[in-house]
Amino acid sequence: MSTPMRRSFADRDDLVAYLREQFPAAAARDAAVSPIRGGQRAARERLARLNPVRYAATRNALDGAVTGLSPYLRHGVIGLADVRDAALAAVRRAADAGKLVNELGWRDYWQRVYRQLGRGIWRDREPLKTGWPASAYAVALPDDVAQGTTGLACMDAFSQQLRDTGYLHNHARLWLAAYLVHWRRVRWQAGARWFLEHLLDGDPASNNLSWQWVASSFSSKPYWFDRENLERLSGGRFCRSCARANECPFAGDRARLAQRLFPQLPPEVPR
Amino acid sequence: MTSTIVWVHGDCLAPDGPALRAYPDAPAVFVWDDALLQRRRLSLKRIVFIYECLLELPVTIVRGNVAAEVTAFAAAHGARRVATSDSVSPGFAAIRRRLAAALTVEVLAAAPFVPPDVPLDLRRFSRYWQRAGPLALQPTPPDAP
Ligand SMILES: Cc1cc2nc3c(=O)[nH]c(=O)nc-3n(C[C@H](O)[C@H](O)[C@H](O)COP(=O)(O)OP(=O)(O)OC[C@H]3O[C@@H](n4cnc5c(N)ncnc54)[C@H](O)[C@@H]3O)c2cc1C
Repeated sequence: MSTPMRRSFADRDDLVAYLREQFPAAAARDAAVSPIRGGQRAARERLARLNPVRYAATRNALDGAVTGLSPYLRHGVIGLADVRDAALAAVRRAADAGKLVNELGWRDYWQRVYRQLGRGIWRDREPLKTGWPASAYAVALPDDVAQGTTGLACMDAFSQQLRDTGYLHNHARLWLAAYLVHWRRVRWQAGARWFLEHLLDGDPASNNLSWQWVASSFSSKPYWFDRENLERLSGGRFCRSCARANECPFAGDRARLAQRLFPQLPPEVPR
Repeated sequence: MTSTIVWVHGDCLAPDGPALRAYPDAPAVFVWDDALLQRRRLSLKRIVFIYECLLELPVTIVRGNVAAEVTAFAAAHGARRVATSDSVSPGFAAIRRRLAAALTVEVLAAAPFVPPDVPLDLRRFSRYWQRAGPLALQPTPPDAP
């Protein structure tokens, strides 16, 4: 048996210094440490603040009342059943916890699919429905996305937040993934690998299958968005200061955007 | 002499996880999988987060090849059995098979979100949720594991 690692530290800085020295390759790639703390005590503090009614009303907005529980669920620090039970205890009628429990269901669902697929989770589950052949997509993650230097204030902020904190709101993940796959035409696997390096909740099941859902290899149509959608759910915070606001690749009429992204598909029925 | 050790892995870092709860006095071990860390290029912040979780668990932390280290840990404690918590990952399944070559492996499940043994259609979330949704909205029964 190899020598046990240290268990006693003066404080977090002491722990981080020790881990930098123990895992020099990881520290050399990216030395950032998240403000999000590990452990069940931290998870229980978040559980105690659960507000399923506000969650249902605001979860789509970047500053909505999301739980931030994903890193703890990912590592089994708490279970889906614990969160469900806490949500039910926090409401008067079970239906008021319905939205939150439904989102928990996504994690349970992806876990079950992962048990079936195993390492096949890295391959397209179904052909893409974008009109583009798989060979039209680049294999590598573009540098400007990885470094956050695209000039698009939103995408650069998401890239930065991913690397600095290891957490992104669900919509930031959706937008960054759609930008990479549909606007930049990069294979979803490149983005999935990048996310797994950084996300504290990084999990091949939820991550890869969400990427496949965006890409359309595990859904009936590609997920994409427009500026109006992003601007609204982000309270306009990125567009206000964006250097490329006047040549925004997400702006404009939805039908024309769809035509530009997926020219081989039949025109979208206006909504 | 202890007869059973607990193997703690990254999919179940709860102080009250099923294996630690079933064997509260057994020596427990966690192994950093160096090959996996390299292959996945896990960032330092992920390592810090996991380490902070580990510091709340009564567990010896080592690094190396997981199956080899767990087997050696069992031998050092004179144990022939290892208990652990379930995981869906294929990496877990592979390690479990390797452990079974030397030890008796017991895999324990955490409290389920949806009662086990309910047949579920996994083709799309909507089909799965039709069946699972109403069951998931029930609180965990008090006699659950
Ligand atoms: C491209 C992409 C990659 C993703 N990668 C991951 C990943 O690696 N790990 C991960 O846990 N989630 C992933 N998600 C799902 C989702 O974005 C996160 O679970 C969620 O944003 C975590 O924040 P929260 O805990 O505040 O969520 P909340 O909205 O508060 O939800 C509570 C819990 O429900 C579960 N959950 C909610 N939405 C989803 C969802 N769509 N899919 C699966 N579980 C969900 C999570 O466990 C979450 O902690 C990904 C989504 C996308 C679009």
